Amino acid sequence: MTPPAIRLRDVTFGWPGQPPAVENVSLEVRRGERLAIIGPNGGGKSTLLRLILGELRPNRGSVEVLGMPPSQARREGRIGYLPQRSAADRGFPLSVRQVVEMGASTGLRPWTRLPEDRRQRVDKALEQVAMAELSDRPVGALSGGQFQRTLLARALAVDPDILVLDEPTSALDAGAQEQLARVLASLQAEGDLTMVIVSHDIRALAAPRGEGEIPAGSFCDRVACLRRTLHFHASPEGITPQVLAHVFEHDLSSVFGQVQVEARSRAGD
Amino acid sequence: MRPAAMAALAVALLCGLLSPLVVLRRLAFVGQGVSHAAFGGVGVAAVLGLFAAGGGTASLLGAWGVVALFCVAAALGMGALSRRTGVSEDTAIGVLLVASMALGFLLLQLQRGRAGSQAVSVEGFLFGQVATIGTLEATMAWTVLAVSFVTLWAARRPLLFWAFDEPMAESVGVRVGGIQALLMVLLAVAVVVTMQLAGVILATAMLVLPGATALQLTRRWGTTLVLSVGVGVLGVTLGLVASFETDWQPGPNIALAYVALFALARGWNHLRHRGSGSAVSS
Repeated sequence: MTPPAIRLRDVTFGWPGQPPAVENVSLEVRRGERLAIIGPNGGGKSTLLRLILGELRPNRGSVEVLGMPPSQARREGRIGYLPQRSAADRGFPLSVRQVVEMGASTGLRPWTRLPEDRRQRVDKALEQVAMAELSDRPVGALSGGQFQRTLLARALAVDPDILVLDEPTSALDAGAQEQLARVLASLQAEGDLTMVIVSHDIRALAAPRGEGEIPAGSFCDRVACLRRTLHFHASPEGITPQVLAHVFEHDLSSVFGQVQVEARSRAGD
Repeated sequence: MRPAAMAALAVALLCGLLSPLVVLRRLAFVGQGVSHAAFGGVGVAAVLGLFAAGGGTASLLGAWGVVALFCVAAALGMGALSRRTGVSEDTAIGVLLVASMALGFLLLQLQRGRAGSQAVSVEGFLFGQVATIGTLEATMAWTVLAVSFVTLWAARRPLLFWAFDEPMAESVGVRVGGIQALLMVLLAVAVVVTMQLAGVILATAMLVLPGATALQLTRRWGTTLVLSVGVGVLGVTLGLVASFETDWQPGPNIALAYVALFALARGWNHLRHRGSGSAVSS
């Protein structure tokens, strides 16, 4: 029986002397599934991600990625990660392609040339994020959205089983957010990549506009609402204003209503 | 004169190769700290009699070995010092720099008192001197260049990944601690051969300015390296020519040549992007 992509069993984590950031979280993500984790700031979303990535060890409970410890999965290149705030130096004189190649070079001897299959991974990743035409451009000359897509391509070039994204759209303007959402939706159309997206933006549930070969439709199969504990974990249709109010501790029905309207109008396009 | 030119060429090439990384990883102050640590090593070697005129090749090699030891210890130790004492790395460098300079100077005074006419030239170590660069120094410089080049080439991928995005590099298995230590050692050894030419005070100029100049002119890595090496060689040439013409120490002349080249590059960068608001920055 193949293990699920991610399995958290009764996970609790807190910094010493502080109340737990996540408590008794049990969660299974099937292979090929797209999971959105939403919730208020400080609710433990980033902590949960770090537990999945193996950067943190739970105080109680267990985390397994593809049946192995998360840090092992990470080292083997099974997890691609797009962090919320990248430490990458945009002043560095590198081209888009050179940055993406970094992702494709994991596990290789440092002094060898990049083999052909890895080169193809780079080309494919650039295509997937619609940056192929800009592959020669220095990263210092990119817009925020373009740089974000470059880093996404770097994560994809690892050829991961699981893609983890932490607030991928939070620092982008509306146009760039739209573009990134379309790229993420198209990723799903292709293979059985498992995706976990953390967002505090309710629009993570909304459907990106279909365009050309990119299908319209929500790009997450299930949503987990996290505020220290898991308040909800099911398909997006089950999200009601009450659930959101409980998770965000605010009445978000006005925002929610807007999101529903947008989703309906896009589906109708 | 010929060994000095050979040594200068090797040093210029070496500094050209390392300089972009020094600038991009903000290691200028670290470089300054290491070169001042060299002065401490000079003091110790002088008191041990290793720099005595007529001491022979072995003695001189021993002297530079002591200096190299100080430099490597400083380069690797700065981080450790900062962690142990809880001060910032910036402060740790400041402390080390000052302590080594003072120690070096005091020891040289001590040696001067003993040796009389055999006294080592303090100024020579501070600002460089061409006269004492012989075959040994030239051989050292070319050896360091060759080893550094091969190492940088072999480790280029993890090195670039680490320099560009350390946390991500670490998470995908790049040995970031080892890479950093490697770079520190290369920097330390580069300082040893550079200070023979430019002196302790201005060795940093050679490690910082070629890369800084190149980064004013391009946003591509390959071009950066080529330009940095080119500027490195050009600056040394101009500086040495000026030094011979004026009979002044090479260090300040080389440093001023680099500053002039940097100013030209900056000016060109500014003119090229005037009004477009997108100047190349470093």
